[in-house]
Amino acid sequence: MTQSFLSIKDVSKTFGTVQAVDGLSLDIRKNEFFALLGASGSGKTTLLRMLAGFEDLSAGDITLEGTSIAGLAPNQRPLNLMFQSYALFPHMTVAQNIAYGLEMDRLPKAEIAARVNEILEVIQLGHLAKRKPEQLSGGQRQRVALARALVKRPKVLLLDEPLGALDKKLRSEMQLELKRLQHEFGITFIIVTHDQEEALVMADRIAIMKDGKLLQVGTPHDIYEAPQSKFAADFIGVMNFLPVEKKGTNFVGADGSVIRSESVTEIAKNGAAIAAIRPERLHVTGTGENQLSGEIAAVAYHGLDLLLHIKTPLSDTPVISRMTADEADGHAPEVGQSITVQWSAKDTHIFPN
Amino acid sequence: MSTDRRPMILMTPAMLWLFGLMVVPCVLILVLAFFRRGVYGGIEYTVTLENLALVFDPLYFKIFLKSAGIAGLSAAIACVLGYAAAYAIAAMPRRHQSMLLFFAVLPFWSNYLVRTYAWIVLLNREGLIVNLARWLGFEGELPSMLYSEQAVIIGLVYNYLPFVILSCYAPLSRLNPDISEASRDLGASGWTTFRRVTLPMTVPGIATGFVFVFVLSIGNFVTPALLGGGQFQMIGNLVYAQFLTANDWPFGAALSMVLIAVMLGLLMLQAVVAERASGRKGAQNG
Repeated sequence: MTQSFLSIKDVSKTFGTVQAVDGLSLDIRKNEFFALLGASGSGKTTLLRMLAGFEDLSAGDITLEGTSIAGLAPNQRPLNLMFQSYALFPHMTVAQNIAYGLEMDRLPKAEIAARVNEILEVIQLGHLAKRKPEQLSGGQRQRVALARALVKRPKVLLLDEPLGALDKKLRSEMQLELKRLQHEFGITFIIVTHDQEEALVMADRIAIMKDGKLLQVGTPHDIYEAPQSKFAADFIGVMNFLPVEKKGTNFVGADGSVIRSESVTEIAKNGAAIAAIRPERLHVTGTGENQLSGEIAAVAYHGLDLLLHIKTPLSDTPVISRMTADEADGHAPEVGQSITVQWSAKDTHIFPN
Repeated sequence: MSTDRRPMILMTPAMLWLFGLMVVPCVLILVLAFFRRGVYGGIEYTVTLENLALVFDPLYFKIFLKSAGIAGLSAAIACVLGYAAAYAIAAMPRRHQSMLLFFAVLPFWSNYLVRTYAWIVLLNREGLIVNLARWLGFEGELPSMLYSEQAVIIGLVYNYLPFVILSCYAPLSRLNPDISEASRDLGASGWTTFRRVTLPMTVPGIATGFVFVFVLSIGNFVTPALLGGGQFQMIGNLVYAQFLTANDWPFGAALSMVLIAVMLGLLMLQAVVAERASGRKGAQNG
């Protein structure tokens, strides 16, 4: 049996009357890129701070390779945290910032210098070694913060919203860069983010957190294609929701049509429910078990694709259907046109509402 | 009225005030220092360097050094006490901080003389402190604490401590808590974090406080006069005596000039320290 690497067992954290983390258990594998995904207030940052040692556990335990680390001070844990604010030391140069953690380990001077230079090469900031953080751009600071944590070769690197302060273009570059570094260093990464796209692109596995609990843990594909709750379905990507009612064994939409699904989460008999379908699963051509008709209320051009907002009797909010550029070239949809879209039963998820 | 002239007009009263009460007297002092004292007091308008030379005469220069020593020691003690207090206040929950600062600065709102006289009551031979020591079981003859160098230092530290608390509180309260956490995370103990991160980042506050206390102490003549007794002279008392007792204005002016020069030098030094610690000035050749 393989022993779990980083194990979070029934961990809770209470601040006064607020239950920030609520009896949460999670196993993280070695060399995994793991994302804690949630809205603000979901407890994801508290959990990360408990891993780093900045918050005590109200209950539960955290073990690393079988040994409890819950009682260790932050400076005694083989985990390092990259702060959202980067928290670079403003009075030290880039090189001094990076060397700091190695000096704390009392490594010989020559080794410190070698490792600092080595990591400066990796992050391609060797030419800025003598600058102060004040003199760097946001992206450069971010890489220094990353290097400062990575250079200690921790067993686990914790990253708190590492890309939050960067602009969009730089962010997508850094997503791949982080993945590359994680692979190169062979270190377990745990990243906290509220950005679902970031989690999907980078993580091997994602945990969705809500109200201090885990809602779902799985690969990006699982999380996206097989959400287990309405919240998870809504939180990740764009999702169409159609209110349905259970009548016998069927689910019936607002206009009386039957909506077929192969993915039904447990629902009370004859209860109100909701059907969820991704925009890219709604097709203007082809055949599916389900179909709906409506009028195009808006066309949103994104370059890469085209989103049709379709007004239907099935829901108050327009249904969104995604057309690829190729499809759109053939059809040229216009506002006011009536349109029929179809989709397959296997792409329809039904949740309790 | 054009908008760009408005700031000028708004600044004029303050500038006139500063010019009349600060620049003009300083220039007068500067000029006076190079004239000769008249035989019966007054001023003889012949240019001379005698006064300046006299400042560096061992007799007077010793007073200078002693004043600097007392001011330096007072500033150092005030910095240690003030930094500790500011650190404690900055560590409190935000909502309590302004109240605590208010209490720290409260003595400022009462009269300087009253506060200094209060120390006479505390320090004298039958004062509260001596009585307290007796009550605690200390026997035998207690040295009089009043009218000594220590009394002057106590008085100066007490009077200027609020300055240091304020000047140290400012950078301490602005510290991003993430930065000391980052230090802990990278393996530093609490003490190492303080020594290598918190302290260097807040040095400008200490420097400001030190220079403030030093500058105000070295020229102070009220506290040495009251708590030091007649036997004890600091440079401030000397200047006071030259102008008001000895009627030697040129020498008084020369002493003042050197004093002002020392203060300006220190203020410049403090500005440099502040610049350094902000991280703005560093190796540009990356």
